[in-house]
Amino acid sequence: MTMPASGASPVLEARDLQKRFGDRVAVDGVGFTIAPGETYGLLGPNGAGKTTTISMICGILARDGGTVSVAGQPVDVGTPAAKATIGYVPQDLAIYPDLTARENLSFFARLYGLKRTDAKARIDDVLEVVGLADRAGDRTDQYSGGMKRRLNIAIGLLHRPQLLVLDEPTVGVDPQSRNAILESVEALGREGMAILYTTHYMEEAERLCHRVGIIDTGKIRAEGTRRELVAMVGQRDKVKLSATGDLGAAAQTLAREPGVADATANENGLELIVDDARGLLPRLLQAAADAGLTVSTVEVVEPDLEAVFLHLTGRALRD
Amino acid sequence: MHAALLIAAKDLRQRVRDRSAIVVAVIAPFALAAIFGMLIRDGGTEFTAHYAIIDDDGGPIAAAFIDGPMAALADPETGVAEIVDVASEAEAREQVDAGELDAVILIPAGFSDAVLAGGGAKLAIIGNTDSTLGTEVARAVSSAFMDELAAIRLSVAAVLEAQGRTPDPAYAAELAERAQQSATPVTLAGTLADSRQMGATTFYAASMAIFFLFFTAQFGALSLLGERRGGTLPRLVAAPIPPWAIVAGKALGSFVLAAVAMAVLVASSTVLLGATWGDPLAVATLVLGAVVAAMGITALITTLSRTEEQAGNLNSIAAVSLAILGGAFFPLGRGPDILQQVSLLTPHAWFLRGISDLGPAGTGIGTVLLPIAALFVIGLGTGAIGLARAGRLVVAR
Ligand SMILES: Nc1ncnc2c1ncn2[C@@H]1O[C@H](COP(=O)(O)OP(=O)(O)OP(=O)(O)O)[C@@H](O)[C@H]1O
Ligand SMILES: [Mg+2]
Repeated sequence: MTMPASGASPVLEARDLQKRFGDRVAVDGVGFTIAPGETYGLLGPNGAGKTTTISMICGILARDGGTVSVAGQPVDVGTPAAKATIGYVPQDLAIYPDLTARENLSFFARLYGLKRTDAKARIDDVLEVVGLADRAGDRTDQYSGGMKRRLNIAIGLLHRPQLLVLDEPTVGVDPQSRNAILESVEALGREGMAILYTTHYMEEAERLCHRVGIIDTGKIRAEGTRRELVAMVGQRDKVKLSATGDLGAAAQTLAREPGVADATANENGLELIVDDARGLLPRLLQAAADAGLTVSTVEVVEPDLEAVFLHLTGRALRD
Repeated sequence: MHAALLIAAKDLRQRVRDRSAIVVAVIAPFALAAIFGMLIRDGGTEFTAHYAIIDDDGGPIAAAFIDGPMAALADPETGVAEIVDVASEAEAREQVDAGELDAVILIPAGFSDAVLAGGGAKLAIIGNTDSTLGTEVARAVSSAFMDELAAIRLSVAAVLEAQGRTPDPAYAAELAERAQQSATPVTLAGTLADSRQMGATTFYAASMAIFFLFFTAQFGALSLLGERRGGTLPRLVAAPIPPWAIVAGKALGSFVLAAVAMAVLVASSTVLLGATWGDPLAVATLVLGAVVAAMGITALITTLSRTEEQAGNLNSIAAVSLAILGGAFFPLGRGPDILQQVSLLTPHAWFLRGISDLGPAGTGIGTVLLPIAALFVIGLGTGAIGLARAGRLVVAR
């Protein structure tokens, strides 16, 4: 995952967003920016305020406070021109079941202001991207759940938005479709699109997102790259080596390696606490061999966002 | 505007694809109008009264009555009555009791002389109690003739007096001639008989059309709830279009479907069933008013509902109750007065009254301005609230 060019002016700037429904505060002071080509993940459990935040960013929901601008234009419910810069993929499927995929795409393409001929070309493009070209003439009520999800995403891509907003696009999707969706999102990010991606699957956030905001009860609790977030809670990677040889001596040798915080021997081998397991691994294996160990298996356990979330909120991401 | 057109076109495409919409919009009302029209035609909602006249007088004024208003009333082309020959008063009374005659008109002996002498003349009407309209027409024609006679007698007498002539046979002849030519009683009878009584075919075509119109006109507002339930509403709001364009698109789609359905019904019932709707401009304006009223009422009800299902049920209840109250299922002419007053709150009553007022040939839009105004007032009043609520539904989510 390559980091996007820093220094460019952000595509999205959201500041101090506020929303309450009656007495319930759904979003309380949420703000973040997304640079061109950056994928930003909003990770949080059910009811955290992800959809509410996104709805305000896309100008679907009137906000109680805060500001949103996309590509330098302020966005609100009544700003049609600014909305043209955003591609929105809602959490709930937003397609017409009694129309074909092509009719769905064509309707939204025209609604986003594409000319008839441009629309046709773009529809073919996005159908290709989500892999539905051969089923484009079918009514969408005959689609599988995964196909519907993919069409739902395709609609958001039609007008080549500067900011693509995806609200839990993989919920209820089989692993194969899910992988296809994640690959498409990765490809779009590489093309330079700014992407806001909400999820409560931390694996998705880890795989796709350059930066992640952890949201809970309407507030961003922490923000940063995965590594920054993990460092924030003081957790390090763990490397487990199954090995035979003089384990006690090897542990002492390896503990002196730079980047290794601790090394202990147990009945199967060694357990190391390190700063960057993936980066250190070749050197560690070399050092283990030098210390006379025969390593049979290697297991790397990296602390994940799940752990970060647990640390920040005292609760698991999913119940 | 472009966005509203796109949304309307998309909605109509979905509607047309759903065959049941076409059934409700056109096929069901046409079929029911055809069936009702056929059932009722033989039963004779077309009004023809049967009268007998017993002329015990034989004088010139009696002749003027028989050859004038009564003959016009029985005109095969334009009239609403048949004059039946009877041998005697007794036989006539028997036939009235048997329901074969609607009324007997008795011209007593000495009637003409009494008129000429200036007072005390009377026509007697013996009516069939089951035929209120028939008896009413006979009574109205007779009493109008008598009033007319009184007025003419005065003016003829004045002329003669001015000429210094005394009443003589010429006076009687002139009076009789002018009374015979007087058109008022016939017009009156025509109005009474026609005005609230259109042909069965036209009545059922019109009443079924407006009854089903309420099911067709609701679809725009309903589909707004549908887009919300189906999750497509946020996507529409996220699109680079003003929020009002969504509401406008929904209203436009409803309007086009309802107006086209009504046009098809008017045309097909005219061509295939022989309905006579009347002056095209007036009918078009009444239809427009009915569409606006139906859209307004259903939009109000729908936007006050929480789900499509709830809205659909409430709209159906409204469609049926308003149709009953408005006289779309059976003519209100027979109900008590209070019902007639209440019916004026329904678009159905105004629409049917408008179409019925257009019945007599030559009546144009000027005759039905009141029904047209009433329909638009009902439609725009309820529609304004419906639109406001729809707007809030779009933005607030
Ligand atoms: N229209 C609404 N009316 C009232 N409360 C609402 C509404 N929409 C959201 N909420 C409340 O706001 C809070 C945040 O909801 P939101 O949908 O933003 O959560 P989320 O993070 O998207 O959750 P999920 O992962 O389940 O989609 C919840 O407590 C929810 O009940
Ligand atoms: Mg959500």
